[in-house]
Amino acid sequence: MGFLAPWFLAGVAALGIPVFVHLLRKHVTTPRPVSSLMFFERGIQSSTRHHRLRYLLLFALRSTLILLVILAFAQPFVRRAATSTNDRLLLIVLDNSFSMRAETRFAEAKQQALAVLAAKPSAQRAQVIALGGQVEILTQPIIDEAQLRSVLEGIQPGDGHANFGELGRSIRAIVEKTHSPIDLHLFSDMQRTAMPANFADMALPSSVAIVLHDVAKSKVPPNWTIESIRAPAQLSDPKDTKQSRVQAVVAGFDTPEAVKTIELLVNGKPTASRKVNVPASGRATVEFAPIDVGYGFNRCEVRLAGGDAFPQDDAGIFVIRRSDPERVLFVHAASDTRSPLYFSAAFGAIGQSSFILQSVTAEQTTDLDPSKFSFVVLSDAIALPSIFEHALSQYVSKGGGVFIALGTHAGQHQRIPVWGAEVDNTHDYARIGRAARISQIDLTYPALQQEQPSRDNGGWGETKFFYAVSVDPGKSRVAARLNDGTPLLLDKQVGEGHVLLFTSGLENLTNDLPLHPVFVAFIDETARYLSGRERLSGSQLVDSFVQLRSSAAPMSEAASVEVVDPDGRRPLLLSEARTAQTFRLQRAGFYQVRFANGRDSLIAVNPDRRESDLQPIAPDIQQLWSGSNRGNAPVQATVVDDIKYHPVNLWWYVMLFALVVALAETALASRYMGTQREEA
Amino acid sequence: MERFLDPAVLAGISSLDLLAKTVVDGFVVGLHRSPDFGFSQEFAEYRAYSPGDDLRYVDWNLFARTERCYLKRYRGETSSQLTILLDASNSMQYTSGQLTKMDYARFIAASLFYLAIRNQRDAAGLIVFDDDVREYVRPSTRQGQLMRLLAGLERAEPHARTDYGRPLRHFQALLHRRGIVIVISDFYEEPETIVRTIQPLRFHGNDVVLFHILDPQEVRPDLKGPSILVDLETNQRMEVTSEYARSTYRAKIQAHIEQLGSRTRATGMDYHLLVTNQPLDAALREYLSLRKAGN
Repeated sequence: MGFLAPWFLAGVAALGIPVFVHLLRKHVTTPRPVSSLMFFERGIQSSTRHHRLRYLLLFALRSTLILLVILAFAQPFVRRAATSTNDRLLLIVLDNSFSMRAETRFAEAKQQALAVLAAKPSAQRAQVIALGGQVEILTQPIIDEAQLRSVLEGIQPGDGHANFGELGRSIRAIVEKTHSPIDLHLFSDMQRTAMPANFADMALPSSVAIVLHDVAKSKVPPNWTIESIRAPAQLSDPKDTKQSRVQAVVAGFDTPEAVKTIELLVNGKPTASRKVNVPASGRATVEFAPIDVGYGFNRCEVRLAGGDAFPQDDAGIFVIRRSDPERVLFVHAASDTRSPLYFSAAFGAIGQSSFILQSVTAEQTTDLDPSKFSFVVLSDAIALPSIFEHALSQYVSKGGGVFIALGTHAGQHQRIPVWGAEVDNTHDYARIGRAARISQIDLTYPALQQEQPSRDNGGWGETKFFYAVSVDPGKSRVAARLNDGTPLLLDKQVGEGHVLLFTSGLENLTNDLPLHPVFVAFIDETARYLSGRERLSGSQLVDSFVQLRSSAAPMSEAASVEVVDPDGRRPLLLSEARTAQTFRLQRAGFYQVRFANGRDSLIAVNPDRRESDLQPIAPDIQQLWSGSNRGNAPVQATVVDDIKYHPVNLWWYVMLFALVVALAETALASRYMGTQREEA
Repeated sequence: MERFLDPAVLAGISSLDLLAKTVVDGFVVGLHRSPDFGFSQEFAEYRAYSPGDDLRYVDWNLFARTERCYLKRYRGETSSQLTILLDASNSMQYTSGQLTKMDYARFIAASLFYLAIRNQRDAAGLIVFDDDVREYVRPSTRQGQLMRLLAGLERAEPHARTDYGRPLRHFQALLHRRGIVIVISDFYEEPETIVRTIQPLRFHGNDVVLFHILDPQEVRPDLKGPSILVDLETNQRMEVTSEYARSTYRAKIQAHIEQLGSRTRATGMDYHLLVTNQPLDAALREYLSLRKAGN
């Protein structure tokens, strides 16, 4: 203990004040008259008595008060040991994203992490985190080095895409929970693509000292990769060159110009090979057509021959399902001849040879079984035979897809079949002389998605709508709205299936959509979405999710789903198989999935190709990050050899105590004063 | 009745005349139950005539009605003289409440004068003294005597110390006729000196009564702590402990009272201690008892 301002201790002399008042000062008493002193005698002891501590407690309080005030001014402090190493939490974060498979990065990172763990003081707590597609906290803060080492050694390189923003969020959550300072060691290749869009997402709290262990050592090896593959998910005629072709994009990162050989493998067998000249750090497209695939699911792979520093990203996989063409039922009103014409024309334009369009009027649907069709289109066919309508409802609840377009006939009927709601109102924009346009459109919606949408809402901005039906959206998803707020395209899940409601017609009387090119793309995506082909085959990215069952399905009626991962194991427990709604595809490879509606699927899962860009974060940004939690101070060493102390000023506590003493003194003095007044 | 004799109540009455009337009237009203007291010119009894009795006392009216001879006896009418010697020294100024000893003494004197003059038709006089005779009102039954006496009381303001020796020499010269002499004082003097000084009055045939006026705080002083006391007569200061006041002083004052009482009674005088928080009737009662005794 010491004093920050010891010269104030000279004020101790002020203690003489209460000593004088209580000990030295002669007691003054008001003389009292008496008739005679005849019977009185002088009391000698009275004068000496006042020299004693009559008000001992009051004297003590006053002396203490003065002493405390002097102490407060002298600012006493105690030395408290600064946070020792043992109080700091050692956080070891090992990057096991896909890019760490390059060269010997992961092995080096793990080795360095083990070395840091070995250097940890035995009493220090540590925690191990794996940074892959997700931030996985593998241990609680523990001091058991053997367990920590075991966990660390058990981390394997994954296929996910690391994101330092996710890491920052997780660390902030840990700090809020532990309330102790953290030494964070990040073992990573510090890939640039792992940076979040906003640097603030990866900023760490001030109590976290981060040490970056760049295992790539800022070296960027040349790396070619299959960046993307465009292939049909379903194929009915391999000889149809419009459909039966595979386009692959070869990208080079920090690569010189080179001629690369690309192979196409179907079910493990090379079927075709192409040579392509890839410019320096550029891209080249290679195409395989036609594709010779057998019936059923075909595991296809586009492979880059030759190899490089990162061979794991030299292949891209996908699934093509070959089947006979599926039938699509197009139901229209008897008087409507335009919509079948436009719809079939759009089908022909997209070359969907895998679909056969069967067009019937509403009255002809009585004997039809919807389950024999890939999906059903109701074009202004509001008045359906009840038998067909019932069968259609059953079909949807079991996973079927229905596309309903509401033309002018819809305004004459209140109820919309299968949709389960009624027509609220009709808008005849032609009558008021001003056509409606689309003001809001969700281009991420599967039936509307476009790879590179144009500025006019992907071509939808030019379309005019003369007539539309207003329907209460309820719980359905609204994918597009007109400028007066009328929902144009709605999606509702009914059981395991989907119902799309287009509140205008499919002919050129209610809108001019069929006259625009976007109509073809719309019909194409809608057909893919409703037939479920995209879900049943094709390719996905690692860490994407597959919806196994509808969330609306009651649990009692839920059927088991089945997932077989690339290693042939079933990652879902039996209980999870009955309840899980989604499944995360966390590894690259082929997943076999049986959905709750009984459909089988084979899904190819590729790593995020951003992992192929091995360019590290710029050193200044790394420095900014490591110093972001402590200003511009350099990165601190982890192990602190000497215990440091810092003074803790006690003046505040002393003043608080002085206040209490002052209050007690006031109360006691008031009491004595009252006594004196009574005596007087 | 006692409420009207309570000194604290009487202190609120400014006029001594009214005060005395209030006290005496209240006192007399309370006496009617007592058969032992009577007044002059009052019928006493009938007694059968016996030879040798003075025929002047025969009730001839009764004889005319009954032909029996009875003597009508009256209480003998005596003309008594009351003289009050009032101590007006500074010590009589002391009070621990609202009533000083001097006020209390005035009340007693006024009440006694009223009782003597208005009720008993006695002559009454006043001598106010401290270290000398300050006021003298000759005993008389003349018209306006009561007013003169009360005025004398009003003028009696304490302003010197007590000295019994000098004024007592004058008393003997002033008191020509026998009567009742009441000395009202706090008697802060040695009992022997007091008795020696007052005793000659008794030798002259007076009935002498000492009314010893003390404040309650003088009898049982209660000091909260060490105090400096100032003598009202000498202005002498003295530091006194509360323990002494609680123990030794009380014993001393008690011994003084007892000694004074015993010595005065031993010399045929009467002694009464009157504490200023007591009612005034004790003094009046004492006067009437003395008068009944035959003065």
